[in-house]
Amino acid sequence: MFKIKKKNLINLAVSVLLLTLLLSAIPVLRAPFLSVLKFPLNILTFIRSEAGALIFYHRNFRQNEILKGEVDFLRNKLNTHNELILENSRLKQILSFKQKSPLRLRAARVIGQSPDNWSSSVIIDKGESNGIRRGMTAITFLGLVGKVIEAQEFTSKIMLITDPNIGVSAINQRSRQEGLVSGTLGTNLIMRYLPEEPDIKVNDTIITSGLNTAYPKGLLIGYVAVVGREFSGLSSYAIIKPVVNLSDIEEVFIVIP
Amino acid sequence: MKKFIFFLFVFLAGLLQVTIINYFRVLTIKPCLFLIFVVIASLTFELKWALIFSLFAGIFKDIFCIGAFGINTALFLLWSFLIVRLSREISIENNVLRCGLVLIVVFLHDLFVGLIYVYSGNYVPLGIFLRIITLQPIYTALILPLVFKPMKSLYYAK
Repeated sequence: MFKIKKKNLINLAVSVLLLTLLLSAIPVLRAPFLSVLKFPLNILTFIRSEAGALIFYHRNFRQNEILKGEVDFLRNKLNTHNELILENSRLKQILSFKQKSPLRLRAARVIGQSPDNWSSSVIIDKGESNGIRRGMTAITFLGLVGKVIEAQEFTSKIMLITDPNIGVSAINQRSRQEGLVSGTLGTNLIMRYLPEEPDIKVNDTIITSGLNTAYPKGLLIGYVAVVGREFSGLSSYAIIKPVVNLSDIEEVFIVIP
Repeated sequence: MKKFIFFLFVFLAGLLQVTIINYFRVLTIKPCLFLIFVVIASLTFELKWALIFSLFAGIFKDIFCIGAFGINTALFLLWSFLIVRLSREISIENNVLRCGLVLIVVFLHDLFVGLIYVYSGNYVPLGIFLRIITLQPIYTALILPLVFKPMKSLYYAK
């Protein structure tokens, strides 16, 4: 019924084989490709940043005025806070507590974002040559951003906490209720594996628990927006509003352990 | 020469997709410039070149995506092949038809990638899944005329 020439069949088989090899080799192509693209991506990121500054001039101007007021208020609070830190440190020394070293951070600029809607990731302009390794945590001054999933020589890829592939062991700062925070691809996060009657309320603060060694303890993740019951009725979940605006992130800090 | 310029446009579209396009999100959804160029290449060039452009666009996208296998490369090649075959059977010389074609291609692409994603064990709320597979095709189809017009004038320019 169907007559296929032997030559055509061989050509088809060779093409399929080559294509399969190519598709499997894509992770290997990432490092050289991203190194070449680093320069044009940097230029486009600069243009995007400058264009944004011009387009949103009025909004930024108003925000600046509000932020100036907030800075004065926070300076005052920081002063009090510093006093408390010193007091805490003195008391810890008296009690012979082991001093925890502060986080070592490396600043990096976001030069690219995920091209599709099925994942949340960003590419930064620092890589293995800057001491960045796979599995390191990415944060901003506000809180947790994600973790490094690929580190090339001059660039790295960070999976954001809004990606469903990520799982962060977290606790409620008030009640110490534990759960697992993961992304939903939307703007919010979901905290799952909560008991049937969890001690968690709207506006509670969610931080990293430190149980998962990948993330240092106490990093701010976000605030509880909604608490609900899973479809099975056996456990509950909480919708978390992340403290960092991950859709428009420009700079991150990588925590060097 | 035209092929080289088209190649440059695909490259530029790729760079825009990973940088500036984030400013143009609607309900957190961004259009897929890669698929627009796959459709344009398939409607404009012969099969060999359409496949080459689709291969390049697919590799470009997969390099920036998360995942160990080039799913976008494979699907882009498939869409390109099917569009070239389809354009031999029926005439697609109208903006509405072209937008319809992009709508269907982006919908099928998102459906495939989304289902693979979900069956790989990832949790995606149904609302967000539906939002991506419905909004992205519409958004991408609406952008097509803006991209197609300059590409067409480039192709017919002497």
